[in-house]
Amino acid sequence: MTTAGARVPLWRDVRVLQWIIQLVVVAAAVLLVFWLYGNYTENSERLNIPTSFDFLDNPTSFEITGNDLSQNAPVRDAYYEGLLNTLRVSVAGIVAATVLGTIIGIGRLSQNWLVRKMATVYVEAVRNVPLVLFLIAGFLAIVLGVFPQIADAWEPLGLAVISNRGIAIPWYDGAGYGLLVIGLIAAVVAWAVSRWRQVLFARTGATPRTGLWAGGAFLAVVLIGWFGLGYAWSIPEIDGRLTTGGIRIDPSFFALFFALVIYTASHIAEIVRGSIQAVPKGQGEAASALALSGFQRMWYVVLPQAFRIAIPPIGNQYLNLIKNSSLGAGIGYYDLTLVTQTTVGNGSPAVPAFGITLAVYVTISLVTSLFVNIANRRFKLVER
Amino acid sequence: MRKTLIRLAAPVVLAGLIGAACTTADDEPDATDAVEESTDEPADEPADEPADEPADEPAEEPADESADEPADEEPADEEPVEEVQSGESLLDTVIANDSVRCGTRDALPGFAVLTEDGDHVGFDADFCRVIAAAVLGDATKVDFIDLETPDRFTALQSGEVDVLVRNTTWTASRDGGEGATFLQPNFYDGQGMMVSADSGFAALTDMDGVIVCVAQGTTTEGNAAAEANRLGLNWEIRAFEDVELIQQAFEAGQCDGWSSDRSQLTGLRSEFPAGPDALTILPETFSKEPLAPAVSDGDTQWAQAVNWAVLATIQAEEFGITSENVGDFADTTDITIQRFLGLEIAGDDGAAVLDPGLGLPTDFGFQVVSQVGNYGEIFDAHLAPLGLERGVNSLWTDGGLLYAPPYR
Repeated sequence: MTTAGARVPLWRDVRVLQWIIQLVVVAAAVLLVFWLYGNYTENSERLNIPTSFDFLDNPTSFEITGNDLSQNAPVRDAYYEGLLNTLRVSVAGIVAATVLGTIIGIGRLSQNWLVRKMATVYVEAVRNVPLVLFLIAGFLAIVLGVFPQIADAWEPLGLAVISNRGIAIPWYDGAGYGLLVIGLIAAVVAWAVSRWRQVLFARTGATPRTGLWAGGAFLAVVLIGWFGLGYAWSIPEIDGRLTTGGIRIDPSFFALFFALVIYTASHIAEIVRGSIQAVPKGQGEAASALALSGFQRMWYVVLPQAFRIAIPPIGNQYLNLIKNSSLGAGIGYYDLTLVTQTTVGNGSPAVPAFGITLAVYVTISLVTSLFVNIANRRFKLVER
Repeated sequence: MRKTLIRLAAPVVLAGLIGAACTTADDEPDATDAVEESTDEPADEPADEPADEPADEPAEEPADESADEPADEEPADEEPVEEVQSGESLLDTVIANDSVRCGTRDALPGFAVLTEDGDHVGFDADFCRVIAAAVLGDATKVDFIDLETPDRFTALQSGEVDVLVRNTTWTASRDGGEGATFLQPNFYDGQGMMVSADSGFAALTDMDGVIVCVAQGTTTEGNAAAEANRLGLNWEIRAFEDVELIQQAFEAGQCDGWSSDRSQLTGLRSEFPAGPDALTILPETFSKEPLAPAVSDGDTQWAQAVNWAVLATIQAEEFGITSENVGDFADTTDITIQRFLGLEIAGDDGAAVLDPGLGLPTDFGFQVVSQVGNYGEIFDAHLAPLGLERGVNSLWTDGGLLYAPPYR
């Protein structure tokens, strides 16, 4: 339409117009947010509702199940406990769902007809049912329906106490996070040993057996730490209507963990199956041609390549799991959401209280995706 | 060329949509205000309103439409809206809507139960009707909105409901922090503990090392913890989102005690699947729970209207006026009753009716009693069958706490 060389007037210059339109959209979005915020502050003032975060210093007035936080502790401590509970169930759920999901995903490609069909039925049945149903089922059917009352609790080998008031398992008797520190030191030592074995393998060709060496080193350090610091086992016992000793897993934690793992594993299984199938067939065939066993073929050749493909979508499932953990509020699991709801019910202002929760969930999710991205960058094919 | 055009057009359309959304959001209050005013005019304010608003409105509207820039339009538009909002009470809105949106619940025997026919039956439900009868003259004009416990204050703050009559305990931090104004309590309650009859617990002090189940987001949770501390007992407190789950957990033996307001426990016990005798309510009462209707802060006119509607039931019982005999009082000569029922009072310069200026119809006392009943009748209909005694919820003349300020 325009002839070459003729100057386009500003109002018909596509570049200028694009800029203007984008600026207008941004301005509209910013104005909308300001308008909403203005509405909120104005209405809160009219209703005499505080908009500050001072409520964090007020006493909570409620207690958190499975925690000795006093009801005079400030609300911020309750938030902290809620956050810890969210992280506990999320981390445990992520680990268990990954393991279960991988096994089922591999099972879907098994040569064995029964295994293959069972895995398929699991995936199709679980994936298409809402998570809340598993949560309710986990609580009503398993915790309340199957687990016995405390009076006739199951005590396998006299080591654990399983009843509908919780699952008490043996735990170490010692102060605070000592065992965690020992575990971390042991992990570092195990890593160093495995590196040493690999270096040795590269130099001399001796069979590395890194797993065996690293595992042995880990165990050795833990045992030395355990006896060195004088830790002992504490075995749970029934004491009246509760249990003493050991550590008690809250029944609502159990039900939530159960539901999250069962549900997320079905999604992870599909991702794993798809990723395995996306690995070129020749890779598996080449492994077989080298006379690797079925397990070796999977472990050393196929899975490493499959996980490279699977990392981003599995990361999404982790994010879903963390966010879904908020459903535990319904069955009385004191995660971040339930703490927020309870504190709002006890006089904390709703908007700042839920604002904090929102910010915390966003932070957890962003940190998780950061780790997933780092892993993705680390494992992705380096193309030269 | 065509591609660039499309690329250009997309944000324009988007911006247009956002703009449209904003302007409609701004315009809407005007439209509804106009409707409200028109419905108000014949009923209440014959002289005042028309002079103010319509004069402004037509002058502005054409200006708005011809104006190009939205920036100019907004301030001009918002001004009148602000004025109307700050001056307008929820009472006017309720009258304009011809319906009271009453926040209540759907499954608490005795207080509010949603029946199969879709009716709400119970003590709290009847107090919703009392408010409708007082404000609108028709007890059926109630829009019942069922609320979960953790959501109730949010619903009140955001204006989803006009009034909350939902077993809500009046506490200082709710008064201050939740933006709620609590009114005349319609039931004075206290927290109790229910245990299964074969548990062997006879008093709270027997209960050491037990699990106590409560409802989430209630005062109950904190009270139970405080009571355990006071008595030096070890109670583990579990909170559930709804009563159904507590009942399931209690039946399965996960909870040793079930703690809640005594009235609620009585109601729940009466409907317990294994029969009421399977449960015992321990004798101790360990908290004060004045259950009161609540409205939003900062609207005195609406608060007063609701308050006097509730007080009317108490006043009527004190006068001995019931829904059955209220007709007989038409020719009473007792001036206090004449005032209360909105009857004509003969004076030196002809008859007059007392209008205390609450914004309620002068005969609201008559409407409340004739359509719903007095406090005693409401209590007897819903709470007495559960086995609840009047106790502190008796008239002050009988040694209870119910006391209505004089209506004059």
